[in-house]
Amino acid sequence: LHDTINGETSNLPLILLQPTPRDPCAARVPMATEVTLRRFDLSDVDAMMAWASDPEVAAFCRWAPFASTETEALLAHIRDTALSHQWYRAICLAGDARPVGSVSLEPTADPCRGELGYVVARAHWGRGVATAAVRAALAAVFGEVEGLARVEALVDVDNAASQRVAEKAGFRREGVLRRHYWHKGRVRDLVVYGFVSGDPLPPS
Amino acid sequence: MEQQRREPAPETEVTLREFTEADAEALFAWASDPRVVLFQRREAYARVDEARRYILDHVLPHPWYRAICLGAVVVGSISVKPCGPAGEEGEGASRASLGYRVAHGHWGRGVATRAVRMAAAAAFAEWPWLARLEAVADVENPASQRVLEKAGFVREGVLRRYVVLKGRPRDMVMFSLVDSDRDERAKPKLLLQVKEPFELNKE
Repeated sequence: LHDTINGETSNLPLILLQPTPRDPCAARVPMATEVTLRRFDLSDVDAMMAWASDPEVAAFCRWAPFASTETEALLAHIRDTALSHQWYRAICLAGDARPVGSVSLEPTADPCRGELGYVVARAHWGRGVATAAVRAALAAVFGEVEGLARVEALVDVDNAASQRVAEKAGFRREGVLRRHYWHKGRVRDLVVYGFVSGDPLPPS
Repeated sequence: MEQQRREPAPETEVTLREFTEADAEALFAWASDPRVVLFQRREAYARVDEARRYILDHVLPHPWYRAICLGAVVVGSISVKPCGPAGEEGEGASRASLGYRVAHGHWGRGVATRAVRMAAAAAFAEWPWLARLEAVADVENPASQRVLEKAGFVREGVLRRYVVLKGRPRDMVMFSLVDSDRDERAKPKLLLQVKEPFELNKE
């Protein structure tokens, strides 16, 4: 499954770009992106800082970026959030122990549903890492979180890249929640995606 | 000539008011009815005392919970709950969720629709931070879906396995009424204000 995003630029604040310029004459070999998910460790703080301090990564996220010097604060975040969480995983590329992002299932007002959040460091955008990680999360999470019947993802209507991730990973688009979320000074419309236990997963 | 004023027949006028402990029996009437609680989380109450406890522990401290009255008779309840810390940025900060229940004997007369309209108007009037009022109805509850549509809510989609009712995850239809739905006044036109004669460089 070829997961690279067609690298057209757009006016969206969150843009997936290939990290190096592409040679238009080179044949593109389709490759499946392999990721593994594992629990975080405090020693992951430096790798995590790569995306936690990046304002472009944080643009559509609910958190404000850390300053790259705020190692202690990020360690506290790992301790207080990632390590004691109901389900929080580091995204690692095949053959590499260092995480390049995270995926987590947040509790909601109802015990049968969780909300999936996902983030990938900018250096690894454009290669299907987020899609592979979300797909792996959907495959794992129902067996690991008791009582879970539904995973949902809420994506800003302007975040086309993240919408494509959700769709390619197997989520079903269910509608738009209007004026749903107050984010960084503005009230936003969010696309709601759902995946229920038993939904088919796309081939990896 | 004296003008004849037509008053609405008292038994058809729907009003909302705050609950008191004295309403326990009225609340018990619908909270013990399996037809009414079918699409609610809770099982039917068996004793009036459960209704009294519910008023004391849940209704009275609630941010916005009202009795639906038909004339002097309490026939149901309606509540609006802010989803987050009101007025502060973050999860749930701009939205609230609405729920309602009406005694079975008063179904089919537009009581719920009127109550929902009134509660929506009150919520938007009282809470300046409110951008979105949402309500869900079970996919197998078309009567409740019609109430929300008639009250002006917009159907946004079916959220699958969204809420656990009586131990089972249910598919829900999501409805919302948002601030821009309610803005019936014409948007102010953008005027170009020319404060002084604007002269190009005169050379």
